Amino acid sequence: MDHNEYRARVRSIRYFNTDTILFELSCPEIASFAKPGQFVNVSCGKFLKRPFGIAGADKDDGMIKIGVKIVGHGTENLSLLKEGDMVDILGPLGNGFDLDSFDSYILAGGGTGVFPLNFTYDVLSDAGKDVTVVFGFRNREQVVMAQEGFVVTTDSGDYGIHGNVITGLDSLVLKGNPCVLCVGPTPMMKGVGEWAKSKGLRCFVSTEQHMACGVGICLVCVCKTKSDVPGEDFKHVRCCKDGPVFDFEEVIL
Amino acid sequence: MNPLEVKVGNVTLKSPVILASGTCNFGRELSEYYDLSVLGGLSSKGLTIKPRQGNEGCRVAECASGMLNSVGLQNPGVDYFIEHELDYMRSLDTGVIVNVAGHSYEDYCDMVKKLDPYKDKIDALEINLSCPNVKEGCMSIGSEPDQVKRIVSALRDLTDLPLWIKLTPNVTDITAPAKAAQEGGADAVVLINTLLGMRINIKTRRPVVQNNTGGYSGPAVMPVAIRMVSECSRVLDIPIVGCGGIMSAEDVIEFMIAGASAVEVGTASLIHPDAGFTITNGLVKYCEDNNIDNISSLTGTLRLWE
Repeated sequence: MDHNEYRARVRSIRYFNTDTILFELSCPEIASFAKPGQFVNVSCGKFLKRPFGIAGADKDDGMIKIGVKIVGHGTENLSLLKEGDMVDILGPLGNGFDLDSFDSYILAGGGTGVFPLNFTYDVLSDAGKDVTVVFGFRNREQVVMAQEGFVVTTDSGDYGIHGNVITGLDSLVLKGNPCVLCVGPTPMMKGVGEWAKSKGLRCFVSTEQHMACGVGICLVCVCKTKSDVPGEDFKHVRCCKDGPVFDFEEVIL
Repeated sequence: MNPLEVKVGNVTLKSPVILASGTCNFGRELSEYYDLSVLGGLSSKGLTIKPRQGNEGCRVAECASGMLNSVGLQNPGVDYFIEHELDYMRSLDTGVIVNVAGHSYEDYCDMVKKLDPYKDKIDALEINLSCPNVKEGCMSIGSEPDQVKRIVSALRDLTDLPLWIKLTPNVTDITAPAKAAQEGGADAVVLINTLLGMRINIKTRRPVVQNNTGGYSGPAVMPVAIRMVSECSRVLDIPIVGCGGIMSAEDVIEFMIAGASAVEVGTASLIHPDAGFTITNGLVKYCEDNNIDNISSLTGTLRLWE
């Protein structure tokens, strides 16, 4: 069978600030299949696993990275993990980004969305594609995963460009027809999607919902897309299995 | 001989383990994790006469040892199922149980009329008189014994397919709707669907799920299900399919001792997609370790304290 659940060892833990953590997990199987935009479901001592976008994968090293922001009991439990601890992990799950159909990309994100976009950046750079990254944060303390050359904005203005992701996107000198990939809070994805539309660019967003199974069987994590059935305003699709990546033109945010 | 083979009335299953409705869709997704032919059967996602988009907003709330869901019977409708999913389910080389949900007496009758011509591809119809997440039908019918009997009798006249009646635990006396199902001509009862529950976000003072209430499932509900199987087993002549919080082979054994001829595994698959596979393996090992020739010999062997 193609898919399985694995036991992964926590290889390293890096705190960016008080509530944002980057874990490196040993999981050769997932590392060998993982594609940017996909996620993993991780056990956290609660009844349900928690989904996290894959923040990086090294096939040769058998390692994947996930970024965790502490927001509730499950992520709080994960923050208590020590190096060498084991977690149950299911993945890679969902559909990743299409990184083949375009020559150049703009990656726009914020919040925990910067983690999957970091993986996306790595893969696109390795493939020799033209990639521009714009990350938006609330303030300097929240700035994570910003590599050299990334455009960084902060709402507070104490780091990078004063403003939000759109301010950052507006600062770019556009060449050709890059594809825009956005992962972040819903208002940000809406804004970035509209920005891309105004420039005539394709845009794909990665949605997030409260999830249970992660594999498409329970139907609790639905989001809305445009329906082709006459008289129907929308249809519910599964964020985990049909997404999490959707064409901005199709999804209703 | 296969030690796991069981019979539910006239239906022979190669294992007592059936995947519960709403936790396996139509089998496609879990087929990526294991060969579903090891199972006794698969109960389809609850079907309605017309496609349903289900409930809006948040549909899940985590609880101690379980979860609330309020999916609200999102499904592609019975016609789509017959055209696109039934043959696939049949191809999985396991029992095909079709879960039939409705909003009214007429809905259930119309659904069964539509499915009856495909009886060669279906092992049993599971009549869902118990979904707590829709406004009409289902649980509101299943909690009234008179209505249970009326619907089951009507469906009995429409088909020779085995009728398994899935009942709601949200009643004072589970034996009343169970006996009503038997009197109506049911071939088996399935006990239990989810328990109606609510979680509240204490910051917003709003229910976590946008439908306000949801169905509680997972290991927390198993003692309730075991008690209800045991109670019904003492008053029914028809077999019982036990369901509710099964996470392990030992849980299956407990249900069978309580009186179940087969079981449905639901929420466990949401936690471990291969749950049906590992539970089945556990049952094989249990039979070996305990010199049990056939697992159905456990059914109803509970000895209550006097």
